[in-house]
Amino acid sequence: MAFAIEFFLRRIGQGLVIVLLVAFVIFTLLRIVPGDPIRIILGPMTPASVLEETAKNLGLRDPILVQFGRFVTQVASGDLGRSFIRGVQGGSTGGSQDSAGFDPESRASVAELIGTALPYSLQLAALGIAFTLLVSVPIGLAAGLRSGHWPDRLGLYVSSFLVSLPNIWVGVVLIFLLSAKTGLLPAIGYKGFAYTIIPAMVLAIELSPVLIRAISVSVAANLGETYFDVGLVRGLSRRVMIAKHVLRNAAVPLFNLFGAQMIGMLLGGLFVVEYIFSYPGLGMLTINAVFQRDFPIIQAVAILASGALVAINMLVDFASTTIDRRLKF
Amino acid sequence: MGKIITLPAATSAEPLMAVRGLSVAIDSAAGERQLLSDIDLTVNARSVLGIIGESGSGKTILSRALVNWVRQPLKVTGGSVRYGGRDLLTLPEAEMARLRGREIAYIGANPTSALDPTVPVGHQILEKLRTVSPQLSREAARRRVIETLDAVRIPSPAQRFDEYPFQFSGGMMQRALIVDALVSDPKLLIADNITQPLDVTVAAQILRLLRDLQKDFDTAVVFISSSLGIVSEIADDLIVLDRGRVVEHSPVSDLLQKPQHAYSRELIAKVPKLWSIGATIPRPSSADVVLDVRDVEKNYEVRDRKAIFAHRKVKAVRGVSFTVRRGENFGIIGESGCGKSTLSRLLSCLEAPNSGKILFEGQDIATLRGTDLLALRRRFQLLLQDPYNAIAAHCSIGRTIAEPLLIHGLGSRSEIEAKVKAVMAEVGLPETLYDQLPVGLSAGQRQRVNIARALVLEPELLILDETLSALDQVEQAKLLDLFETLQARRGITYVYISHDLAMVRRVCAWIAVMYLGRIVELADNETMFERSAHPYTRALLSAVPTVEHKPYRMQTYLLEGEPPDPIDIPPGCSFRTRCPFAFDRCAIDDPVRGADIGVNTSACHLRADSLPPAEAPSASNGAPA
Amino acid sequence: MNSTTAQATLPKSQPTRSRGVTARILRRAWSYTEMRVAALVFLALALLTLLGPFIIDASATKMNVTDKFLPPIFMEGGKLPHFLGTDQLGRDLLLRSLIGLRNAFAIGVVSVVGMFIIGCAVGIYAGYRGGWVDVILMRLTDVQMSIPVVILAITILGMSRPSPASVIAVLILASWPVYARVSRGVTLSERQKEYVRAAKILGASDLRIMVRHIAPSILPPIAFVAVLDVARMMIFEAIFGFIGIGIQPPTPTFGTIISSGTQYLLNAWWITIVPGVLLALALSSLNLMGGVLERARNQILQGGA
Repeated sequence: MAFAIEFFLRRIGQGLVIVLLVAFVIFTLLRIVPGDPIRIILGPMTPASVLEETAKNLGLRDPILVQFGRFVTQVASGDLGRSFIRGVQGGSTGGSQDSAGFDPESRASVAELIGTALPYSLQLAALGIAFTLLVSVPIGLAAGLRSGHWPDRLGLYVSSFLVSLPNIWVGVVLIFLLSAKTGLLPAIGYKGFAYTIIPAMVLAIELSPVLIRAISVSVAANLGETYFDVGLVRGLSRRVMIAKHVLRNAAVPLFNLFGAQMIGMLLGGLFVVEYIFSYPGLGMLTINAVFQRDFPIIQAVAILASGALVAINMLVDFASTTIDRRLKF
Repeated sequence: MGKIITLPAATSAEPLMAVRGLSVAIDSAAGERQLLSDIDLTVNARSVLGIIGESGSGKTILSRALVNWVRQPLKVTGGSVRYGGRDLLTLPEAEMARLRGREIAYIGANPTSALDPTVPVGHQILEKLRTVSPQLSREAARRRVIETLDAVRIPSPAQRFDEYPFQFSGGMMQRALIVDALVSDPKLLIADNITQPLDVTVAAQILRLLRDLQKDFDTAVVFISSSLGIVSEIADDLIVLDRGRVVEHSPVSDLLQKPQHAYSRELIAKVPKLWSIGATIPRPSSADVVLDVRDVEKNYEVRDRKAIFAHRKVKAVRGVSFTVRRGENFGIIGESGCGKSTLSRLLSCLEAPNSGKILFEGQDIATLRGTDLLALRRRFQLLLQDPYNAIAAHCSIGRTIAEPLLIHGLGSRSEIEAKVKAVMAEVGLPETLYDQLPVGLSAGQRQRVNIARALVLEPELLILDETLSALDQVEQAKLLDLFETLQARRGITYVYISHDLAMVRRVCAWIAVMYLGRIVELADNETMFERSAHPYTRALLSAVPTVEHKPYRMQTYLLEGEPPDPIDIPPGCSFRTRCPFAFDRCAIDDPVRGADIGVNTSACHLRADSLPPAEAPSASNGAPA
Repeated sequence: MNSTTAQATLPKSQPTRSRGVTARILRRAWSYTEMRVAALVFLALALLTLLGPFIIDASATKMNVTDKFLPPIFMEGGKLPHFLGTDQLGRDLLLRSLIGLRNAFAIGVVSVVGMFIIGCAVGIYAGYRGGWVDVILMRLTDVQMSIPVVILAITILGMSRPSPASVIAVLILASWPVYARVSRGVTLSERQKEYVRAAKILGASDLRIMVRHIAPSILPPIAFVAVLDVARMMIFEAIFGFIGIGIQPPTPTFGTIISSGTQYLLNAWWITIVPGVLLALALSSLNLMGGVLERARNQILQGGA
């Protein structure tokens, strides 16, 4: 019990620092990379004096540390700010109607924008993970349990092939085959659950090879451990040894893989896939925000994403140390 | 040699297991190679059959073949293993599974990796018990496992039931596995080298335990070992295995007294001897102190899982003092966990002690930095145990030996090459090896490369940390001779850190015995072995597996239980929890060992003459005076 | 040569524990048929990329309105020399794909070498030093890994006009922590080994131990896995091109070819599909080699003979 409390206190502390640093990195990057958001907000015809004044009003001409301090206080009080570009009604306004000045009140709240987009992304991610598990668990297990035989080779071929397919291309090909050519499934945009299926397939194709390989390596390694052979000689059946011991031990590296690699891949995959399919999730929101230099949205998403990664990693590590007590925390 | 000798004691019973003409081969790229040829053996009910063989003799393969555990690339090429009227080798997998762990149990040499590391030990024994006797209720089975753990003297068994394999020491784990094997009341137990990774005192415990249990359970045992001393303690009959063949099969006493086969005689000659040695014991040669270790302590902090943000101190070395004089051999012995590896790290300046001083020729080495430390390293070298990992695979041998000269910037290219070749010749490495990679060098030759690398700096003091442990007897003897020659020629002082009592007996003038981070006894060679003053030293000496007369009886000194946790050392004498002679004062008063130079000292409240007298050797195999 | 003579003088039963690990991994990998097939495919593609411009009588950027939307020659309407057809501007698809492949491969290799060097240097240092240096460096990698590559890429590349150098920089920036992690992990266990202790006792400095002793023994196995990353970086390069933040037209890249083809998907699907097949073939061979190397490494390091 004491162990669990210390673990979480320690990790939450470290996690907050990480999220803060990520926010700072993104915050700074946005402000030192060329591209002035004011010009996009107010449109190209705006006189320089108005540009400067609006920038000053928005605090964009203060030193970066001052801006960051202000931003952190604001976030700490639960306010993620308002979009530079998107109107309250949704959709980007941008352009000339603001040439006289910029009124933040007419812009959508970032929290609301994220609140609208997040469920779509979660739905896509969940279905993608479901497809991934459906494909990779059977293949990975078969490959690991029959190491050196044909299922093992099959696993190697399938994973080497799937990992070689760029997600953008897979997306286009699937749209062509399943949607444009045959009309089996809808693809672009979102008008119902069916619109999630093809994007989720693309995600699964991206994630499966990693998982297949990890499962097969981990299971095969455990079958080679002394405790497995000894278990059989001790009188336990192969079935029991695999179900109760091998899978349990194999889970530890898989948890770590999930935390360290898969979640990052999933997040990256979501952004690209949502972009290809014009899927109205967080990725779409962010990519548009980046192109439009919509700082508040980018910052909020970065915080959210790193926070989620930190939290998932924390849980994953906790699960690992609970299974394998030898691990240090 | 009679291949099948039926002992008179067992004539009444049908043999439990009969192996006839068993042959096993390995499939490799180079073709099939025979590992076991035409093995015949018979196991009688309620008897102990010993199998002795050196590494590479095929004894593990044989022990596994007895339970039909032969996996790719190994395969059985002939013969039968008959048990209960059936041949196990041709038995269907399902039938075999019904025998394994039920009628035939197996315990292997590596207790720490035998169980699932992520499940508590007790739960795994419970799982097996419930598999072999499904009629037992969970509660009843649990009770039975805890009772049996208690019966093999595992301390606080109810609590240990829920602990994980990594929390068990090697000896405790081996006892747990014995429980696991015997809990199903098997007819035959195959014990493959089960004492091999254990310290001598723990091995002695396990051996006694197994002997008691074998009688209680009426189990037949096949006891496989590479140590004649150990196997002769337990077996009735002995089979000698040499390169996959049975060369001799006779009762233990016959084999020890009048071995028939040349290989058996060779084996007996190789058993280390502590008392019946012919050589004279080295004496200290001067009064000039080279190394002076004063009251050195070292603690490590470990995180405490049971409290928030708390650490606990592991006391690895607790106030060690000794002096080494120029030109002598000084030995430090002790079992695993006694702090000798930590001490070696301190002596070699890899870590600094928390308190105390290590003086080399009057200079405190713990405070040295930079060039001073570098200068010290030239005169003060340490040789490590593992001949494989200590030298890099990607450097030529000449380059490896030259490395220290390059580090210290000593000499030009040609000077270095000349120096390296001279040292190679001195340690007996052919000059042709200069440009070669260490690929395929034998352990002994690798250790010579290590020695050459240390000698090239012309050190005055060499610390040998288990340097010879990985080598076989013959190599060991050759290197000991080499050390002696080097000592005569260069006046080097040696500190041997080892668990090998026989080697220390042969070469060291002064010996320190460590227990739980302390030196409990420091004495000259003769006193230590003939008239030891500390019960732990006596226990250690009594447990050494030899086939000669011992002045200390194993029954008198056998240790119980485990050394205390170095985090939680009990007050009073730290050895009292296991000492057969402990009395009231030991629990309150921590005995202190005197620190005078050149005097035998021991950390015990008892005087040497109040311990049982050492038994005089009988005339037949006594040590020469 | 050295090794064979040394071996000849010794009994056969000697364990060959220390024969160069790298050599053994390579030899083991080469014993797989898959490895040889993949190497052959990769070599063929490499050759084609080098010789392609000489064989095909066309220029990758030359437009030819009369020959636009030509299908591959195995379909009706295809014509030589456009083996795999042409795009919406009449440019030869095979040639453009091959050049795209070459560019992507160059970017992949350079960025992997970069991230390998930076990551392993940091990882060895952190693992060897331990203590607070290790804590800080590893938390830094946590931060770095918490920023999705695509966000980082579009933030940095999105506004300015991206050059190959900036694409490589972004890829290195995004992926070095993986190498730091892996090499740190190996160094942690390597630090405990006797050869490191031996070197210390001989008086070697920390830098010398890291560079001369630890690095040569831990890097080769990590380098094998880096092969897989070359393929991964090529995919990232394609993604960047697709989003429009990669190397800019008219230089052909997979991303731009595929994205430009999407508009004509129904009528001229080959513009999108054909380059993708070629890329998938190249990457498959690379990944198969990497997979076999990784597997051989596991077999060798986990005590396989």
